[in-house]
Amino acid sequence: MPLTKQEDPEDTLDELLQNKARIEELPSDQDDAFEDVESDDSGIPFPGKPTKRERRAEADLPLWLQQGTINLFHDELETTTTEARQKATNDCLPLLTGRRTENLALNSYGIPHLHREGHAAFLHSQLDTFPAPYVAIDASRPWFFYWTMAGLSTLGEDVSHFRDRLVETVRPLQNATGGFGGGHGQYSHCAGTYATVLALATVGGLDMVDRKAMWHWLGTVKQADGGFCMAIGAEEDIRGAYCAMTIITLLNLPLELPPDASARSAGLTSFTDRLGEWVGRCQTYEGGIGGAPTNEAHGAYAFCALACLSIIDAPHISIPKYLDAPALLSWLAARQTQPEGGFQGRQEKLVDACYSHWVGGCWDLMQAALSPSPSASNCEVKDVWNRAALIRYLLTCCQQPGKKAGMRDKPSTRPDAYHTCYSLAGLSHAQNHYHYDGSAATRSESGRLMAAFNWTAERATEEELREWRVERGDVVECVHPVFVLPMGVVDGVKVQFENGTF
Amino acid sequence: MGKYSQDPQWADITPLPTDEGGPNPLAAIAYSDEYAETMSYLRAVMAADEKSERVLALTEDLIDMNPAHYTVWLYRAECLFAVGGATEQERQKSLRQELEWLNDTALDHQKNYQIWHHRMLVVDKLGSVEGEQEFVEQMFDKDAKNYHVWSYRQWMVRRFDLWEKGELEFTEGLIGRDVRNNSAWNHRWFVVNGREGSEGVKDKGVRTREVEFAMQAIGRAPGNQCGWNYLRGVARKGGMGLGELKVFVGQFAGLEGGEVRSSHALDLMAEILAEEEGGREEAGRALDMLKEKYDPIRRNYWEYRKVMLGLPAAGAAA
Ligand SMILES: [Zn+2]
Repeated sequence: MPLTKQEDPEDTLDELLQNKARIEELPSDQDDAFEDVESDDSGIPFPGKPTKRERRAEADLPLWLQQGTINLFHDELETTTTEARQKATNDCLPLLTGRRTENLALNSYGIPHLHREGHAAFLHSQLDTFPAPYVAIDASRPWFFYWTMAGLSTLGEDVSHFRDRLVETVRPLQNATGGFGGGHGQYSHCAGTYATVLALATVGGLDMVDRKAMWHWLGTVKQADGGFCMAIGAEEDIRGAYCAMTIITLLNLPLELPPDASARSAGLTSFTDRLGEWVGRCQTYEGGIGGAPTNEAHGAYAFCALACLSIIDAPHISIPKYLDAPALLSWLAARQTQPEGGFQGRQEKLVDACYSHWVGGCWDLMQAALSPSPSASNCEVKDVWNRAALIRYLLTCCQQPGKKAGMRDKPSTRPDAYHTCYSLAGLSHAQNHYHYDGSAATRSESGRLMAAFNWTAERATEEELREWRVERGDVVECVHPVFVLPMGVVDGVKVQFENGTF
Repeated sequence: MGKYSQDPQWADITPLPTDEGGPNPLAAIAYSDEYAETMSYLRAVMAADEKSERVLALTEDLIDMNPAHYTVWLYRAECLFAVGGATEQERQKSLRQELEWLNDTALDHQKNYQIWHHRMLVVDKLGSVEGEQEFVEQMFDKDAKNYHVWSYRQWMVRRFDLWEKGELEFTEGLIGRDVRNNSAWNHRWFVVNGREGSEGVKDKGVRTREVEFAMQAIGRAPGNQCGWNYLRGVARKGGMGLGELKVFVGQFAGLEGGEVRSSHALDLMAEILAEEEGGREEAGRALDMLKEKYDPIRRNYWEYRKVMLGLPAAGAAA
């Protein structure tokens, strides 16, 4: 069965956020996806006997891409799952090993350069007016503001010139009762509000947010069990917890629940009451995190959980307090797919570039939480994951060749703003180091939760870059490990709302 | 000129057109006239808090045009429950009608999640789960790993007390069809352990049954991690010593020159050995095998596992 877009069983956060499948069904402009495909490509990774040159090239590959490793185990039993996986692997292997390059310019290690200008142009194009069939994104336009602003910032572009236009654009999305909807006249929603607040932060436009109304609205979505609903009357899931705590902390809203918050009747007085416990309930028998208690473990929710806990306290305090950290570590490690090197979202699902952030972003937070901590200088092991493999997957398999550029889930898919943003964020997690300052205060005088502001970023050394086969010019900007914003933007927001009064 | 502006039944409503946010909005959508008009009537009725039959029809129109519109769904649910009939019988009838309409919509829009939240609200009000299990199975025929449908299924089991109404057999069927369907494995865990006040795998009989189930699945496909994770989970929660699994795991992870049929088995073997008295060195050897040969992509993780055991790492990680 050919895996067309409509049949793709891969489940990603995009569809949780914005029903992307609908968008993918839309007739797209004739794009140049296939113009660079080499005609001699058979799709079979290693047909026939290798020539001498191929043997040398083989020896130059990392161990996980060598035939000996790839041929170690066989799928004993063919099912729908193995069929889909085999196809994904066959699409990726020629690109990963350099047998096929799709005409991308190569660095001195034979790995494609990051096509900066191309991806930036692609992101800019996502801010143009969409034709009528794109009505499916009518409730998720705030994400486009965030994905483009964040993606461009990660590429090193100054986006502050978008400030006035963005502020004007989102003004009708803000409700008088607090928060932002997906569009004019839409109910306020945690996801849309998170995306809008973050996008405004990148351009320096947060002044336009009605903080007091926001505080009241967040009070209406806080639940008695400690979690948050996505909107009034909508589902409760862990995205709500992460989005709400991000908004509260960035805008320095009072942690105290508003007087009219319904959770008060259950005895709660603070936004953080029962929150860590609720997040803990989302951990499953597998060690990973589900969207809500008892749901299947999923990479996107793992990030939401870890980031939420890293807001309410220092990661080395809150993560082991509410989660079984070794079990989660084991689950996260298993998400890096052999041989692709990117991450999958769930057990036995396919590799997908957006998890370069959702799972790739967990490492910064986990490594700060572990004991001994790999980010500490005295630990014998510097990293618990494979940065080189993720970088290789993103650069070889996820860059759309040709003029259109942009980044994509996997070679058989089209690029979009969502995958471009989170591929670049994933690249940033892999190429840079992030350290938590355990000696810094976790509460400010105004009562603000400060843990998430205690991160610093550090560039990789030349030796590391050589090890990862990356050239300095292809290194992207540092992205804040909790808020997924440029580091400097977070510093600015920290100061902007320091006193916390309305 | 549109459907609503020409309809005398809507003459009392002054539509609220879209505020585009200035002359130069970002990522705007060139709405079709039809969608723009329908939305402008929705804004107007929402502003007036009108909940009526005609608003129900209006939301249906909008959902047809854009099923990803969460506000329309939420408002439709409010409307439905407000106008759903004067008698209990009428209310039941309108809820049934809603479900029928939802069936088609759900099958047309596989990945839409608002539908499932809405369905939950409707079925909850209806108070009957009749036909639901069958409908959900139809969805799984198309995508057996759909996250929202699984979440809905869990809700159903909890709400209508379906713990012993064929759920276990249902997971067995799906796992039989695709042993790597982790969603089905997760559901099985939920059915076995999720019931309030139940012992789950802490009950010896249940534990034995589940261990056997997992072992059988592993036997069919040792490379499939779903079975291994389930087995480990049962052992941990059930209070078994991991050592009880050693003979079984050894069949798939021979240490001294024996065959290694699954890296997951080797991983679990390392865990088993680490719990044995004096087993740490041997656990370290299993981790070295993973690192050097059987799972080199996770080299750093295996190395870190050694550090956690208090064993020296082999130097700087690559
Ligand atoms: Zn994706």
